[in-house]
Amino acid sequence: MTKGITIFVVMIFLVVGCLAQPPHAFLVTPEMLTQRQLETRRYDGIKEADLLSACANLLQDLGFQLENSESRLGVLTVSKQRDAKDAGEIVASFVVAMLSGKPIPYSKDQTIRAALVVRPVNDSNGNALPDNHYVRVTFQRLVRRTDNTIYVETLRDPKIYEGFYEKLSKSVFIEDQKI
Amino acid sequence: MKRMLIIALTVAVLPLGCATTTERILDAGDETQLQKRSYESRIFDTSDKEKVLRAIITTLQDLGFVTDRADFTLGTVSGTKYERYQIKITVSVRPKGKDRIMVRANAQFNIEPINDPKQYQDFFFSLEKSLFLAAHEAD
Repeated sequence: MTKGITIFVVMIFLVVGCLAQPPHAFLVTPEMLTQRQLETRRYDGIKEADLLSACANLLQDLGFQLENSESRLGVLTVSKQRDAKDAGEIVASFVVAMLSGKPIPYSKDQTIRAALVVRPVNDSNGNALPDNHYVRVTFQRLVRRTDNTIYVETLRDPKIYEGFYEKLSKSVFIEDQKI
Repeated sequence: MKRMLIIALTVAVLPLGCATTTERILDAGDETQLQKRSYESRIFDTSDKEKVLRAIITTLQDLGFVTDRADFTLGTVSGTKYERYQIKITVSVRPKGKDRIMVRANAQFNIEPINDPKQYQDFFFSLEKSLFLAAHEAD
């Protein structure tokens, strides 16, 4: 009997303590470097302020609201709220509900966030090259399901980043030509 | 039997639920303020505040954080990482004498503070690489 209670108490501790902190959250892994390549592009022949302004303009084109900025450090933080319903997910939820009588929650709406950072490209001596910059953008989203639970993720689909930079290159060109 | 179960349950849950709101606001744990500052801080031999702040932003980006806000004058950067969990971090810089800068970070994992010195050691290790400078323990 005592053994039964001991197991029970241990189980309670396990449930409470199951959200362990990831041990290597602050070390750069090879996957993170791949992600960096995906998120970064280099732009030559444009001043930092003009490049940042072109980025802000593009983010507005994409419907983002500016949340924070620090132009001295080349930082823009933006977000937008959008619908997150996905036809496939809804159908799956419906099928499960039909079979089990218990509907599973599906994505309802989402907040998409992004931080965009412009920084100078340095030469091998660590000095900034004139009018030479890296742009790096990271997209994340917080998705709310129909039962009001939330899940969060960093977006890693290369198509998102390729699409973004294709548009930015056009935007930089427009800025450059002052159209 | 039932009584024993209730006692066992109470004993198991008691140590978990004993922090008061005051303790949570002041985050008064077993460590002293000084101990906490010591593992959360490092000193770098540079006076270039902008360079250090930009390196902090780059490091956080490499680690998968989105910069929530940055303030050059105040010398602070805050970021959030979303994986299956959430980590929030605030990093601040302040001059230490004429030619050194102190960097200090504090982070939280979901709804708990990160108090493991190893995590901060990892962060400063990553920052050192991006800054091309060695970090010194705070005095």
